[in-house]
Amino acid sequence: MAVDEHRAPRTTESDDARRLVKARRPGFGIGLLKGMAVTLKHLFKHNTVIQYPDEKQDLSSRTRGVIALKEENCTVCMLCARECPDWCIYIDSHKETLAPKREGGRPRKRNILDRFAIDYALCMYCGICVEVCPYDALFWSREFEYAEYDIRELTHEKEKLSDWMASVLPPPALEEGAEYPGSPTRAPEVADGAAAPVKPVQAEASDAAAGTPERRGAQAAPLGTGGRPADAGAPKEAKPDVGPVPGRQAEAAPAPEGAEPAAAEAPPVQEEEQQAAPSQEQAPGPEPTAEDHAGPGGRTETASPEVLGIQMGAEPASPSPRESTETPSPEVLGIQMGGGPAPSPGAGEDAVGAPEEAETRTPQEGPDPEEVARLQETPGPNVEVPNEEPKPTALDPTEDPKEVYEAVLSDQLAKGSSPEVAEARAKVARVKAERGIARNPGVATKEDS
Amino acid sequence: MFDITLATWQILVIKIIVILTVVPVGALVGGYAEHKVMAHLQHRLGPMYPGGFHGWATTLADGIKFLYKEDIIPAAADRKVFSLAPAAIMVPIIMTYLVIPIDRALIVEDLDVGIFYLLAVGSLSTIGLLMAGWSSANKYALIGALRSAAQLIAYELPIVLAAVVVAMLAGSLSLIDIVETQNWPFAIWPPGIGFIAFLLFTVGAVAEMTRVPFDMPVAESEIITGPFTEYSGMRYIFAHMFAEMGHMVAFGGIGATLFLGGYQPIVPIPFLDFIPGVIWFSAKTMFMIFLFLWIRPTFPRVREDQLQKFAWKFLIPVGLALVLVTGAWVLYV
Ligand code: SF4
Ligand code: SF4
Repeated sequence: MAVDEHRAPRTTESDDARRLVKARRPGFGIGLLKGMAVTLKHLFKHNTVIQYPDEKQDLSSRTRGVIALKEENCTVCMLCARECPDWCIYIDSHKETLAPKREGGRPRKRNILDRFAIDYALCMYCGICVEVCPYDALFWSREFEYAEYDIRELTHEKEKLSDWMASVLPPPALEEGAEYPGSPTRAPEVADGAAAPVKPVQAEASDAAAGTPERRGAQAAPLGTGGRPADAGAPKEAKPDVGPVPGRQAEAAPAPEGAEPAAAEAPPVQEEEQQAAPSQEQAPGPEPTAEDHAGPGGRTETASPEVLGIQMGAEPASPSPRESTETPSPEVLGIQMGGGPAPSPGAGEDAVGAPEEAETRTPQEGPDPEEVARLQETPGPNVEVPNEEPKPTALDPTEDPKEVYEAVLSDQLAKGSSPEVAEARAKVARVKAERGIARNPGVATKEDS
Repeated sequence: MFDITLATWQILVIKIIVILTVVPVGALVGGYAEHKVMAHLQHRLGPMYPGGFHGWATTLADGIKFLYKEDIIPAAADRKVFSLAPAAIMVPIIMTYLVIPIDRALIVEDLDVGIFYLLAVGSLSTIGLLMAGWSSANKYALIGALRSAAQLIAYELPIVLAAVVVAMLAGSLSLIDIVETQNWPFAIWPPGIGFIAFLLFTVGAVAEMTRVPFDMPVAESEIITGPFTEYSGMRYIFAHMFAEMGHMVAFGGIGATLFLGGYQPIVPIPFLDFIPGVIWFSAKTMFMIFLFLWIRPTFPRVREDQLQKFAWKFLIPVGLALVLVTGAWVLYV
């Protein structure tokens, strides 16, 4: 009896299963034929096997093959060694004292890298060290043939790591429509002038879809200062050689100014610039000088937000370049969004208007489809600038711009600034002279010299 | 054609030499074909280096490698039986080559009972497998041997039934007669009957060779090549590799002879006669071998019980019914 009871449900169950199987299969043996057809198809397909030692695969440019070290860039900050989850980076260094930069100054200290080794037997290729290095000293290389017969030999020293630098690819070109880091409206000379001013609009529109534009601005702003590794596709190679970058940016700044006489038919970019200028004038409070904001230590050399601020016509907010690099100040953001200076405590009403406009323009809840469409239709700066007649700003230049330029340049050089910084400051002074902006008494002027 | 008169023993010696070269060469070529065809079916390249051109010498290199290997006989093994088993497997396979007609005149021995001889000799290998498994003193070898024996017996029957169908259609047991009656290959005519017999034969042959999907007895992932677990070196080559490849070529030849018209052109069109029978036969044999190779990477291994059920509950009844139908066809058509 028990056996029968046990059996009864089992048979029905298997009947169900059988019915299911029957329902699923179209005919006896069809599945087998299908399987045969699949393998036969592969017989005639083009084979994609790469015969490795003879042929080499064209690896993706993002391949995590091995970590290469650009020794000149390493400042022995130890960040990579500290962040490495496996603690497989070994760094030794010693300090060297250099003569003070100018008379009466402190002697400067510098770290000299003695040993830099990565134990690839431990490394898990997480890439944190590459990400974290603030000075672009570590790179991913596509090299992968570095197996050794002994596990101890997998600890590669800096000579080997530097050799791998040769196989590091140049950074990939910016994506179509990508925003040039640092400035959505104006591309430095490095980027193709044609591509940059138009593309950002689309980038911005799609960005609005992806998240709040503020975030984007926050991301982009520090990049422009030239101190941080680029997030996506910034020209990495350019930055390590810190010197020229600020100079170039400062150079970029006056360029539109040169076109001032023709401002009436100038594109909005320049309008914005000119609007920004008077606000600078009106802004009360001590005018920051390049000298004051030279910044601590080696950071003088990297472009400080001040430089950017001046370039964009805004007033710098925080005196520490480092800080503002990490968290973009509202001013920088304001430039990004509104093109005008942002409300710093002492800023004039004129300045306050712009960011407000930016706020209304970029609602938090997401992109307005209409606006996106409009933005895509009319390429230009991402923020609409009221179509006003540009006001003449250069009322009466008090000094001769050329003379000011020469004076500041020689003065800065005499004070021990690097040529690039000196040039940048001289150019800033020249711009101010052209616009008739009174320079801070702290700065050497024609009268002083 | 030849004016040379040879004594019977001389002819015998020549025949033996020919067979003893044909079998290993066939096995080597079959092995290479297996490597390459399987690789390409699986979208790979297969061996590419040995010999230079597409790895043509792979199986040769394999064989030479095995020559160098130590011939290990387990301490607990039955030494005599253990060392004789590969021969007991290999000899029946070589013997099947004797009656396969390569061309009208190219046959070692045209027996009147050709089919009967083939089937009888074919089932002898089972004894070799049992010898190997039993004498190895290894439980995996024993399990493998028993599975092999059970499987060979089960799948011998569909082959026998398919052969019976062919013999009935041809009205003869001689393989030469069978080929000669096939104006149209039996796989095509009589419609249905011949084709089903052909399928029965193919499935049975794959199982006889213990090839995927019926490779339960050798199941290398669980019972480590079944009866040959303890074999190494040259003995392993003879017991397994050569046996499998030799078997495959032999079954290819048998299938070509019984169902595809052997050395006859595939369709009875007179102008196709200029192609020599050897080429027809080789092409058909290669097709059969390709079929076996094609099946291997396509299907997964079936379970032991499914394998037995498939033979006893499906193939054999179908075969029996087919014999009845064939009888009716021969009588009334
Ligand atoms: S990739 Fe990761 S594990 Fe390897 S050295 Fe860099 S941080 Fe350490
Ligand atoms: S993080 Fe970069 S700069 Fe700092 S020690 Fe490592 S490699 Fe050098």
